[in-house]
Amino acid sequence: MKKLIALVLAMLLVLGCCAAFAEGDGITLDVIICQYGPNTENWFLGDGMDGTNFVAKFEEANPGIKLNLQVVSWNDVYTEVSTRIQNNNAPDILNIDVFANYAADGLLLPVKDYCPDELFADFFPSFIEQSVIDGTVWAVPDLASARALYVNTDILNEVGVEIPTTWAELEDVCQAIVDFYNGEVYPWGIDMTTDEGQAAFSYYVWNNDGGFVDADGNVALNSEKNVEAIEYAIGLVNKGYTNPNPATQTRYDLQDMFGAGKLAMVIAPNQLPSYLKDKDYNVNFATAALPVNEGAKPGATGVMDRVMAFKDDAYPDQAARNEAIGKFLSFFYAPENYVGWVSMEGFLPAVNSSVAALVESDPSFEAWLNVLDSCQFYPTALDNWDAIKQGVIKVEQEALTGGDVKTLLDDLQKEIAG
Amino acid sequence: MRPSTPDVVARVNRRALIAALLAAALCLVALSLPLYGFSATVFAKKSGNTFVGDEKYQAVRAEVEEAAAVYAAEHGGTPEIVETVTERVNSKGEKTSMVAFEVREVMGRSGWAFMRSGLAAGWLLLAAALCLIAGLILLCAGLAGAWTVDWPELPASKRGLRRCGAALGLAALLLIPLFLMRCNVDFSRQIKLASDGYAGAGLDALLHRLDAFLYGGSAGENTLSLMGGVSYRALWPAWALLPLLCVYTLAAVIAAEGHPAHALTRGLLYGFIIALCVLILYPYYVMLITAFRSNAETTDMYFTHMFPTQWVWSNLRDIINRGVPRYLLNSLLLSVGATAIALLCGIPAAYAMARMRFVGKRAFLGFVIMSQMFSPVVLLVGISRLMNAIHLNDTVWGLMFINAAFNQAFAIWLLRGTFVSISSEMEQAACIDGCSTVSAMLRVLLPMAAPGIVTTLIFVFINAWNEYTISTVLISTASNKPITVGITQFSSFNMIEWQYLFAASLVATIPVVILFMCIEKHLAAGLTAGGVKG
Amino acid sequence: MNTIPIRHKWEPYLWLLPSLLLMSIFVVFPIGIVFKLSLSQISKSGVVGGWYGLENFRTAFRDPAFGTVMLNTAVWVVSVVGLSTLLGFITAMALNTKFFGRKVARSIVVFPWATSLVIQASVWNYIIKAEYGNLNNVLLNLGVLRSAVNWRASYQIEFAWECGVGIFVTIPFVAFTVLAGLQSIDDAYYEAATVDGAGFWRKLWNVTIPLVKPSLTVCTVLNIIYVFNSFPIVYTITKGAPANKTDTMVTLLYMRAFYDNQKGAATAMSVIGFAILCVCAGAYMMITMRKEEQ
Repeated sequence: MKKLIALVLAMLLVLGCCAAFAEGDGITLDVIICQYGPNTENWFLGDGMDGTNFVAKFEEANPGIKLNLQVVSWNDVYTEVSTRIQNNNAPDILNIDVFANYAADGLLLPVKDYCPDELFADFFPSFIEQSVIDGTVWAVPDLASARALYVNTDILNEVGVEIPTTWAELEDVCQAIVDFYNGEVYPWGIDMTTDEGQAAFSYYVWNNDGGFVDADGNVALNSEKNVEAIEYAIGLVNKGYTNPNPATQTRYDLQDMFGAGKLAMVIAPNQLPSYLKDKDYNVNFATAALPVNEGAKPGATGVMDRVMAFKDDAYPDQAARNEAIGKFLSFFYAPENYVGWVSMEGFLPAVNSSVAALVESDPSFEAWLNVLDSCQFYPTALDNWDAIKQGVIKVEQEALTGGDVKTLLDDLQKEIAG
Repeated sequence: MRPSTPDVVARVNRRALIAALLAAALCLVALSLPLYGFSATVFAKKSGNTFVGDEKYQAVRAEVEEAAAVYAAEHGGTPEIVETVTERVNSKGEKTSMVAFEVREVMGRSGWAFMRSGLAAGWLLLAAALCLIAGLILLCAGLAGAWTVDWPELPASKRGLRRCGAALGLAALLLIPLFLMRCNVDFSRQIKLASDGYAGAGLDALLHRLDAFLYGGSAGENTLSLMGGVSYRALWPAWALLPLLCVYTLAAVIAAEGHPAHALTRGLLYGFIIALCVLILYPYYVMLITAFRSNAETTDMYFTHMFPTQWVWSNLRDIINRGVPRYLLNSLLLSVGATAIALLCGIPAAYAMARMRFVGKRAFLGFVIMSQMFSPVVLLVGISRLMNAIHLNDTVWGLMFINAAFNQAFAIWLLRGTFVSISSEMEQAACIDGCSTVSAMLRVLLPMAAPGIVTTLIFVFINAWNEYTISTVLISTASNKPITVGITQFSSFNMIEWQYLFAASLVATIPVVILFMCIEKHLAAGLTAGGVKG
Repeated sequence: MNTIPIRHKWEPYLWLLPSLLLMSIFVVFPIGIVFKLSLSQISKSGVVGGWYGLENFRTAFRDPAFGTVMLNTAVWVVSVVGLSTLLGFITAMALNTKFFGRKVARSIVVFPWATSLVIQASVWNYIIKAEYGNLNNVLLNLGVLRSAVNWRASYQIEFAWECGVGIFVTIPFVAFTVLAGLQSIDDAYYEAATVDGAGFWRKLWNVTIPLVKPSLTVCTVLNIIYVFNSFPIVYTITKGAPANKTDTMVTLLYMRAFYDNQKGAATAMSVIGFAILCVCAGAYMMITMRKEEQ
């Protein structure tokens, strides 16, 4: 019996010691990168970077800086980050989509503290603007993607309709497809899932002159335009023009349906062609601008993710730490590394210096870069953006189950704006 | 209840034979009636931008009527003309209209027509008919010469013949649903695949046969487009075959067994067990076949193949390259460690609970149960803070302790039960001989309780192996992930790679299932001890 | 009584110590932390602030989804525990009779028990996918269906599927605990009952059920706890969509904590859930134990 207790205590002791001796000299940066696709992990940690990987290459180029880099799936990253923050164990560098909460809690370092001027000037200014709160830049963009309408040209030709440009035309086309195929082909894809329902919200409100915020930057979710837009979207579902389960069919389900020729039109990011190729789908498709409501200004949807650095007040030499973070960023955005990173999963770049090389490798990039210029982005600088995001998803899902859009949006506005 | 006197036996046998013959005769009648009714398109014409009554409409209408007349002249019957008009106003306010004509004929096909058609369904029906006839012959042979012999004294050969008759009846009975299902496959599924462009040698042959079966070979090249308009349904004679064959089988069973109640309960029992096993194995079948499909085939929306067209064994190699062996090793370490800790702590506690009287026994029991009430999900925040404080965050060690702790209640429950079920006389004797309680437990009790301990051990092992929620939050370093967390990389928010997800799941599941099958014999025993005296 | 003499009064406690220590550190301590957090202010990104009174509980109760989710949880627990107990009991009765292939059948029945819930839930999620799921594949290729069916046409149906999967994975546990009880019943009871002329149902009612009741009690209490706390099934299949209408309490609090950044409300919900479980499991045990004493 006593032996047992002794054993248990001894084990605990050994464990404690192990943990205590883990620290070394030099600086170690904790980095969390999100998993963008099947190659991300291999590129950072495996042998996906011409036989070597990012971490090895970086540590070789920057002796004295060690990277403790993890690639975390998008499923887990919010959980991971928030538990680490609660445990006062935030990463040094984080790659994620949101930043406003962390900035509001005073956890982030301002970008000017660590980002070399040269690199800072390299970012697209319109991107940097998206990460500003009260005049301070808190994060830098790591990549972007833009959304466009993809249509199955075979289906549209067979039915004998043109690609719709307005909402009214869209309904005509949908009805024509439903008639022609007796419902075997879904005309229009809608994804109102918990994962990405906010995108659907933006597709409709931005093409109806609505939006998450009004002209003054205040949250305005229940504007007339928004109500009209969401009622239109829900109307499409109720008229049977869309995939049957918008609340649980993710964008990937839609992309698969599109690839299989079961879905005639879908709004998807610029990576769709490579996705279809990977899965051996064989469809003829064309891209087009999202349909707009009559008279409204078209608004493309862009999505941008960010890199940010957390404060670590306990670290003795803050200047050295900032410098190390700066070195990490400079290395990451250097064209020889960054081009590979962006093109690997088919994203769009966030810095000027890599554009030339990317256009050279794939001419279709140029068109997308133009789209990117006119893109609107989610208002992620609002510190209640995540509440807005979850809120609009809930509104959509409630509306799908029969709720009244106006009431729902009014309630949400009241809840968000206080 | 059982027939005993020759009179009674003869009466039972006579009734059984009459019922069997009657049922068989009615079956043959049913086979001669139309089993399926088809409403088939024999001619179709669509005309776009046409309004009812206009010139174009008249022209098409005349063409259609002529085609119907020609068909009626050739095949007889009265084909019906169906006209569908689709009118719509587009967003510019213009009215558009489309007219579709179909010449349809309603026809029926008897069982004999099916058998001659060469369709797979026809072969099934033929097999059913042959079974029935062969069964009838065997039954008669079994009855002949043993008309008044009570069934317990029946010679083995006679009984064997009667049983074979019953078995063939059952086979015929089971072939009928297969026939109905096969008709669905031939008339809707395969045609649908063919019209979606999945042509193949098999489909071509099938179309040929269907042409012969439905149109007498006159549809020719147009079979595929015409088949698109066929609707069909099974008529009552097809359904009547089922109860008739039931009656026949039952009669044969009565002749063979004397009394059907026993056969019925056995049948129900086997039916239940088979249904249960099929249901339980189904997800594993899905896992297995999906694991070896190609990426494209996992999301095949036309459901073309039930099994992988090509077994992609390289999926296994891919998951190995993506870290699965490392995850398996972590899981193994974690489970072994958790099991060791849980047993080292659980055995003494269970021993005290089983063998000693002390104040606070109930309180401890309450404490143990309470510790089970908080779900790991609920405690995530607390656990991760604790782990951080003792520097066990993101380590396999941390998971070991957590899993051991969360399995204490179950381990103590099982172990205590095992100990209680073993008499304490030997230990008491050992204690009187001057042994300490420790050595009494180690030398006397533990060897006797070995089966229960093994059960507990495997239980804890499996729980730790399958734990997911805590690990997913505690572990973020890829090289420390156990398998349950590791496989989620294949179903990330970005893209679900079903084939890898299920290949890795399969690899993670097989060892545990084998372990569980090994203790299955002790499982009930271990739980008996735990439960009954719990 | 099956006890052995002990030399010192404190000896039993020494035997309990390792177990007590393990559970105190790794279970009770986190419980304490959660209780403390439920009374503290927690920022959206997870920074813990000071005393917050019962504000977190107020937020939790005011949560618009709270009512629906409590109802869902009740349906979930009652249906899963109830039906799996019934079906598990029938399975156990079947497995306790002698038949050809019983060993194989028993081995197969343990399968779902031996498989991780995440894996089970993923497989079922794949099976019932409307567009490419395996259920449609199998039924179409066997000819049972004529055209593909959308197996998740509404959220009520999806929730029913989730309950179904819950029942499916719970049956083996119930079946084997009951089987254990059945095997320990002495044949003499049944012989006596047969002599008295009792039929199958009377034997079931008067002999079998009273004798397996103790194992059934323990197993039901554990099941209530496990099912209430079960997380992967709902999370994998619907994530609570649409609008928390398929969430149970545990998934709701996970979503609140990690998706909606309402950590305060989430910790309060864990405490509420704990209270509910204590009451339910406690009441159930009290009732059954009192009945047994009578």
